[in-house]
Amino acid sequence: MIQMQAFYVFLGVAGLLAAVFVYTIASTRRARDLDYHTAYALRRKLLYVLLAVLVVGLGMTLAKTPYPRDKDIPEQVVFVVGKQFSFGISASPITNDDEYLAATYSTPVQVGAGSFVEFRVTSFDVNHGFSVYDPEGHLIAQTQAMPGYVNRLRLRLTQPGRYRVLCLELCGSGHHRMRGVFDVK
Amino acid sequence: MASNAVVLFDESEMIRFRRMTVIWGITALVLLPILALLGYFMRLFQSGAFPQIRPEWFYAVLTLHSLGMVGTWFVGAMAGVSFLLLKYTRPSLAVSKFSFWGTLLGVVLLIVCTLGGLFGTGWYFLYPLPLMSQGVWQPWATLTFFIALAILGVCWTVWTLDILRSIAQRYSLRAALGLNYVFGEPGPEVPPLVLITTVSLIVGVAGFVAAVIVIALFAARALGVNVDPLLMKNLTFFFGHILVNITMYLGVAMVYELLPTYAGRPWKTNRVVAIAWDAVLFLILFAYFHHLYMDFAQPQWVQRFGQICSYGLAVPAGVVSIFGTLALVYAARMRWTLASTLLFLGIMGWGIGGIAAVIDSTVEVNSHFHNTLWVPAHFHTYYLMGVVLMILGFIDHAGKEISGLEENPRRSKLTVILLLIGGYGFLSMFFWAGAHSVPRRYAIYPLEVAQGTEYARIAVLFITVLLLGVLLYLWETGRRCLKALSA
Repeated sequence: MIQMQAFYVFLGVAGLLAAVFVYTIASTRRARDLDYHTAYALRRKLLYVLLAVLVVGLGMTLAKTPYPRDKDIPEQVVFVVGKQFSFGISASPITNDDEYLAATYSTPVQVGAGSFVEFRVTSFDVNHGFSVYDPEGHLIAQTQAMPGYVNRLRLRLTQPGRYRVLCLELCGSGHHRMRGVFDVK
Repeated sequence: MASNAVVLFDESEMIRFRRMTVIWGITALVLLPILALLGYFMRLFQSGAFPQIRPEWFYAVLTLHSLGMVGTWFVGAMAGVSFLLLKYTRPSLAVSKFSFWGTLLGVVLLIVCTLGGLFGTGWYFLYPLPLMSQGVWQPWATLTFFIALAILGVCWTVWTLDILRSIAQRYSLRAALGLNYVFGEPGPEVPPLVLITTVSLIVGVAGFVAAVIVIALFAARALGVNVDPLLMKNLTFFFGHILVNITMYLGVAMVYELLPTYAGRPWKTNRVVAIAWDAVLFLILFAYFHHLYMDFAQPQWVQRFGQICSYGLAVPAGVVSIFGTLALVYAARMRWTLASTLLFLGIMGWGIGGIAAVIDSTVEVNSHFHNTLWVPAHFHTYYLMGVVLMILGFIDHAGKEISGLEENPRRSKLTVILLLIGGYGFLSMFFWAGAHSVPRRYAIYPLEVAQGTEYARIAVLFITVLLLGVLLYLWETGRRCLKALSA
């Protein structure tokens, strides 16, 4: 899970930084003059190391974005509308409030396991966060549901089961109640 | 070090300015426990302690807590920097007073519209939510909110411009930005405090302009004009990102100025320091894009540029400011006091929070962390355990300097221990919950993320410890500030 990988990377680097601060505090018990040449040389090394880490980090991640690419053709399209305080999710376009209500209360949309699906996400009122949780409860992808815009989130969901959608953008007093659901079979 | 300090005030003016600084400090110390209790209330709410209270209260308190904290520490940092700048420039006392009364009025109006009117949009009042409350808050609350923002915006913009004016009276823009150091040309000695303040406040003006445009566009919408939500989101996060970041930079500027007096070593501007802070001036303007990664309608190159700038900001912070702090203190004849300890640990918190922020600024990671509790985890780390500690360090330093009251070392040590255990313990639950997909800004955790309730309960225990540390700090430093007021 990418979240836990990020957590452990954070824990390691933050722990290292905290250790350096503690070491520096301890060093003041044996005071002596600072060798500025050594300090500047160390700073230069730190600069190179940090730059290397950041450049490698950019190289490894910059291309891995969740944004749609023109060359990819989705096998299935699902239409999503957010509205205070529910998601309407449908296999057919949702263009008005009646269709939104029908999509909200109908049986969950089914997505083929392993198929490449595009969620076309928009909002009929305020900003919402269309956030997909897998059957184990892990947040696996998200995009904003914004009035006036359609955001296209493309996923290949291989694990069958019921997927929950929570709103992750504060949208009013019922924000925490807002949800949607779809099935992968 | 203040080698180029000059006498710009006569004694009576200096006393009045010091008094105003103490008043700002006491105001921050009064607001700190109140706003912290609001945060305590929210975590208690999420832990299920108040089933009888409606969620609308949670969102109203969330709005007041976040705006209140950001505003309190911004003005705290501004007051601190103004005070320290007295050695080099002459900021206006009248403008500081004007800002003080405007800030008080703005805060009162914010309390009225949130606790009185249940206005609950969060700090960022994302368009068009303030206009679509589902009947929870009334139009008067929305109007009051925007009047409060306008008052705060005007006062803080005037204050920002006045500090820039005072710097411009002594230093040219080229000098204040350290460009003579960058290009190796002769020029006046520019203390890091002046350089960092100049960079921060120039960016700050840009942020305030964006805020004015946002408020104007809300007014236009109320008159029936169509407004683009994506434009509003860009402007809102541009402003919010800048306000939070310049507050941290002003805190760091105070550390550059004060920590050398405790370490007995100089910390001067040189070529590397100048290049680093001038780079910040550029990078900070575009790093805010990372707030909009999940808006797929943004051009993709903008999103990637946002990640590059966000990563880039780690370089000047890490290589210059954090390394500089460590080098300054390493094996120094350090005078460890409550103030110097908080200043030093504040830089550590800034660094640790920054690491978590850089991780989250990776687009790929952000799609799993965006608007989960990972976000308040990292910004509370560099705010609460970063700039807040720096400003508390400054207030203690100034209170001691003006009142002459010495500190109790044992109480100071206990204060720091409680703040560290309570603070990092409380934050650890945010990080852990974020890594487990628990959303932020949820009054109640639904079944899908029910583990958030348990994490909130544990966090409450740590916040109790943190509040004990805050109370001890208030006892120690508050009495110094009260004595300083009459000094």
